[in-house]
Formats: sequence, structure tokens, C-alpha cells
Amino acid sequence: MLVSFPNMGHSWPAFKALFKPLGVDIVLPDPTNREAVKIGVKHSPEFVCFPFKTTLGDFVNAIEKGADTLVMAIDCGPCRFGFYHAVQERILHDMGYKHIRVIPLDQADLLEFKWVQTILQVSQTKNLLLLPKAINAVILFLKKAKYIADIQTAEGLIRAYERNQGDTTRLVKKLLVQLDETDKLSELRKFRSVITNSFKEIDIDRDRNPLKVALAGEIHVTLEHYVNLDIRRRLGELQVEVHQNLSLYDWVVHKFHLNYHRKWLEYLARPHVPMDIGGECVWVLGEYIDRARAGFNGFIHTYPFTCMPEVTARTIITNKLKKEYDLPAIFFSMDEHSGSEGFRTRIEAFVDLMNARRDQKEKQGDNIKDNLKSKSHSVNGNSFFNEIVQIINTK
Amino acid sequence: MVQVKEEIGPSDDGKKDAFLGIDVGSVSCKFVLIDNDGNVLTHVFLINQGSPIDVVKSGMAKMRIHIEQEEKLQEYAIRGCGTTGSARYLTKAVVGADLAKTEIIAHAVATQSMYPDVRTILEIGGQDSKLILLRDDIVVDFAMNSVCAAGTGSFLDHQATRLGIPIEDFGDYALRAKSPVSIAGRCTVFAESDMIHKQNAGYSKEDIIAGLCNSLVRNYLNNLSKGKDLEEPVVFQGGVSFNKGIVKAFEDHLGCKVTVPRDGLNVLMGALGMAILSREYYLHHEVDTMFRGLDVSEVEFRTTTFHCGDCPNNCEVVQVKIPGAEEDKVIARWGSRCGKWEVF
Repeated sequence: MLVSFPNMGHSWPAFKALFKPLGVDIVLPDPTNREAVKIGVKHSPEFVCFPFKTTLGDFVNAIEKGADTLVMAIDCGPCRFGFYHAVQERILHDMGYKHIRVIPLDQADLLEFKWVQTILQVSQTKNLLLLPKAINAVILFLKKAKYIADIQTAEGLIRAYERNQGDTTRLVKKLLVQLDETDKLSELRKFRSVITNSFKEIDIDRDRNPLKVALAGEIHVTLEHYVNLDIRRRLGELQVEVHQNLSLYDWVVHKFHLNYHRKWLEYLARPHVPMDIGGECVWVLGEYIDRARAGFNGFIHTYPFTCMPEVTARTIITNKLKKEYDLPAIFFSMDEHSGSEGFRTRIEAFVDLMNARRDQKEKQGDNIKDNLKSKSHSVNGNSFFNEIVQIINTK
Repeated sequence: MVQVKEEIGPSDDGKKDAFLGIDVGSVSCKFVLIDNDGNVLTHVFLINQGSPIDVVKSGMAKMRIHIEQEEKLQEYAIRGCGTTGSARYLTKAVVGADLAKTEIIAHAVATQSMYPDVRTILEIGGQDSKLILLRDDIVVDFAMNSVCAAGTGSFLDHQATRLGIPIEDFGDYALRAKSPVSIAGRCTVFAESDMIHKQNAGYSKEDIIAGLCNSLVRNYLNNLSKGKDLEEPVVFQGGVSFNKGIVKAFEDHLGCKVTVPRDGLNVLMGALGMAILSREYYLHHEVDTMFRGLDVSEVEFRTTTFHCGDCPNNCEVVQVKIPGAEEDKVIARWGSRCGKWEVF
């Protein structure tokens, strides 16, 4: 049995860590690419959202590499995501891959422990001896997911300061491979200092005063850099700090009911959307309000074309929140198009817009620079975030 | 004329300063040369044929002819150059421009220099349309439509051909209409079948054309404005702004006066904006321009492509070279998704 799972940005070392300790063999699909998207689009219903198509493409790629058991996250929430694994299994069977099983990983509420079923199914045993292995797997998964989130945080900040374009991107790749190879818990505990030390080595220009932008949106599109046309790198190379709370870890902790930051965002969004309506709608709204209050320069919302919850968030932001909080926002609806020229133009224009606004505010005597430095760095700041800020600020 | 803010002192070589702006769009290519005070010295307008490199080269050749023919222009030396439009980076590499900026910022700068209190800019070009909102002299919001052809000039051009009237007369026909027919504006396909139906039902050409203008404006407003407040003063530019029918349709829909820049400047705004921006760049940077000079039209550029092959994306990377005596010099590379080839 060869197990595989679809891509979601940098999250692969975490998923790998969830299955490897169970003693099953794993094969990773190639990073999402043009070929995978082509196959996914060809065999998917036309109006389904883009993550369905790319994950289907990843599955086909994994099957060609020999995988026969595929794991797909599901969520019996308000959107059609809950049906993806079943539909994808049928499509794969229709394509001729009759031996394929798609196992759902139910993450609607992780405290209901339905995911234990998935672990049992994947490991093909009901033996109680599995228990220590499974616990180990979950711990490794959570640890690695946390480090991936940390790498993402550091990357978003440091890239805006790097002197040699490309240093950060290369380092992130290297760190992910290193993280994947670290399997012992004792070594993994030290990995945090590995991350900070390697980011310290990047040659950065501390005199820059980059714009601060918050990125939020649907989880797959926002994390998967092929789908979002590498928006984080593009922004970083235009010398913009990218602040993003959304990560696999953030989501999993939320599903264990332990993510107090998300609870705070829900509280902020409650006057506009009183409940979870699917996608990241509620948290995107909360994030917008939170970032606006912290004095950010801009807000970017990425979501798949035809995603109902995210479009709801977009409309509420443009028609209501933008007038109230006056934080510039730009929206990217992602689909299979890969013509990046219009995308690049819009990002550059948005950066110009934010720059002009900041200059104007500074002229008006708002001492926004100092304000921002203190505020935006304390908002949602976990200890790792503050450590990276320390690296940037200390000469 | 254009208003510029700061003064520039005289230069060493005795010549006066001039700044060149280039706007390479999807349908046409525009060159504007301005002097120190922001006066337009000369301009070139070309329809795109073939690759942007060829268009830029022939534009530069034309520009040189303009300068050679007029003695007054020979007193000027080009101190800076800026590019905009969808091919801005390619053009920047080819002519050796100092800066490349998006159309949004170029249009906003140019319009502000002529109408300092402008609050809304409507721009409809050949293949795309833009909406720019300004408050207190800065761009606060913008929207671009680059996917729906129904809101752009190509749509009108196509329909004019179908009706058998020259696109130049389109506006006059629309103004003569007594009761414009209603034509679906959501999609060109619906609009066309609607139009054929109305044509066969015997409506006059004038009424159909006025209906088309209305449908284009409706499409533009639906696609781009989406709840944004379009406040006065409104300036309308881009190729379609030559069309009086569309101007009138905008005035009817917005309920206010819509200004179109005079003297043919309405299509040159992007290039003008870049000329102004490169002037500002020259003022604030103590570096010499990288501009290769108007002789660029005689330099041979060679574009080659290769497949990267380092990852499953297998990106097709395009590079522009200047063939030299010993080794080909690569001046620009793009097309890689990960961006690694774009760094030299």
C-alpha cells in the first residue's frame, strides 16, 4: 500500500509526519504544476472550485507514481468541500483507476476524533499496539505544522528586507527539506533555533521601511503558491512585509477549539456575519478589522473563483467595512488562468497606491511610522513572530 | 498645458532637457516627449503589429524623423525615459528606460497634471478598461477589467465592422439617435445576437448604435464600479473616449459632466504620465539615464526561448539578447514562475 495526499503549499512535511510513523509507505505528488492542473481541469466539473481541480491533478500524478490510497481532508461544513473526496474517488474510478481508494480525513471538529478512523484505515490495523505510534504521529504532525507556520511567518517578514533577491526563497526550500528529515522529537524541539539562526544569516537591509500587508483568504488558495501565482514572493520582492496568520497549524488548532486568536476574529466579525458560513469568510472579515485597527497599509484577499463564502466576505468588505475602516483592500479570484501579467500589474498598482497613501499621511503629520512599528508588531504577535522582529530590528 | 511642480536647472551640455514616455498597450503603442515645463513637444501613435520590440523600434525611428524635421526639437536632449503598458518590462529592457510603472499610476499622474482636482478616471482602451478613483490627490482605489471583451474598444470595433460603418463615425451616428434600442450588455455574444435581431426588425442604424453605446457603458459600470462612488469631476480617456456616443452614454448614466482630454491627448495619457514620472525620477536621482537613445531602432534584438526543466512546471523562459562581437549580451529574461531566471 502506497499512501499519498494532495499538495497544499508548504504543508507536505506535516502530512508526511502524520502517516510515516504508522509504518506505511508514502509517495508525494510533484509540486502542483501546469500538467497537474491541466489533468485536473479536464476531468473536473466545470463550475467546481479550483482547489478541487488541482487536488485531483495531484492525485493523478501520485497514482502515476504508484500510490493506491489517497487521503483527502473533508469538512461537513456549509460548503461543498464535504463532498470532494467522494466525487474525486468516482472521477478517478471513471478515469480507469479502479483500485484507488480515497480516504476522507474528517476535520469538521477534531475533538470528535473522527480522524482516528482515518488513521486506523490508513494503517490497516485495529491492533491496540498501534496506539503509541499514532500518538507519536499526531505529536510529530502538530510540531512540524507549527514549524511550517513559523517558517512562513519569518519568510513573509524577512523577504522584504533581503539584499540578494532569492535568498529567502532558497532558504525556505532548504528548511522544509531539513524539517522533513528531522524525525526525532528531541531534535525537533531544537528546530526553532535552527529556523531563527538560518534566517539570521540572510543579508538584510535594516534601513528599509517596507509596507505592511495582511494576506488572508481561502486556505488552499492562500497557502498553495502555484495557485496564487506566488503572491507572497511577488509582494516580498516589491519590498512589502507579508503578514499572514493563516496556516495549516492555525487551522488545526482552531479545529481543536484552542485557537483563541480565531475566536477574537469571530468576535470582531460577529456584527457582520454571525456564524461560520464556510470557507474563511468570518475570519477574513475579522482579520480585516483587526489589521485595520493595527494600522496596516493594505489587505489582500485571495480566494477561488465561484467560492460563495469568500465572495460574501469580499462584498461585505467593499461595501461596508472599507468605508468604516479605510484600509485599502484588493481581491484576487484565482482560477486556472496563468497569465500573470494582469495580476502583476494589479499588485504593482496596489503597492504604488499604498505607498502614496503612506507618504500623504506622513506629510499630514501623522507620525504613522512609529505608531505602526509598535502596534502592528504586537498585534497577534506570538513569541516566534517577535523573535523575527527582533532579528530585523537589532543591528 | 500640463502643470509640473519643481523647476530644473540648466544642464552641462547646453541642451534643454526632454523626457520620453512610452506606453505599449495591447492594441497601440504611444510615445510622448515633454520638455522641462511639461509641454508636449512631439508624440507618436502606432497600431501594434507583430512583436512589441518591432513596434517600439519603428516608433523610435518615427520619433527620430520628427526630431530631425523640426529644428526646435534639436535643442533638446532626452534625459530620462519611462515605460508603461502590458509590455512595460520588455520595452524597458529594449530602450533602456529608467523606470517601468503600471498603467494605473501613469494614467493617474497624467490626468492629475491636467486636471488637478480630478476624482474619477474612466479609461477604456482596445483590450482592457480601467477605473481609477482619486481622493485628496492620491489614488485610493482602482479596478481593471482584462477578461471581459464586452467593455472594451475591440467590441465596438467589431460591431462597427458588422454594421458596415467606419469606427470614426460611430459616435456621430449614436448622437443622431432618437430612441436608442436596448441591447444586452452582459456579454458580447448576447449583444451581437440582440443586435442582429434588432437590425432585422428594422430599427435604424442610429438607434442600434446608441443602444450599443449604452450597453457598453452598463457593462463597464457593472464590471468595474461595483458599488464604488464615482464622484465628479470625471475624466474619460483611452481610445474609446474619441467616441462621442460613449461619452454621452457615460454622462447619462453618471448624471454629471464627463471631461475628455483635448488635442488627442486622451489616448496619450499613459505615455504622458510616464514622461512626467521620468522627469520626477531625473529630479530625485543623481544617476545618468540608461536610455539607449533613439538609435535603438537600428539595434538588432534577438529573442530566444528555452525550457527550464528544473521542476515539473517546465516553464518556457524568454530572453532578449543583443548580438555582440564576442558574446551575446542578455538584457532581459522572463517567463519563469519561480522567478529565478529573472534575477541576473
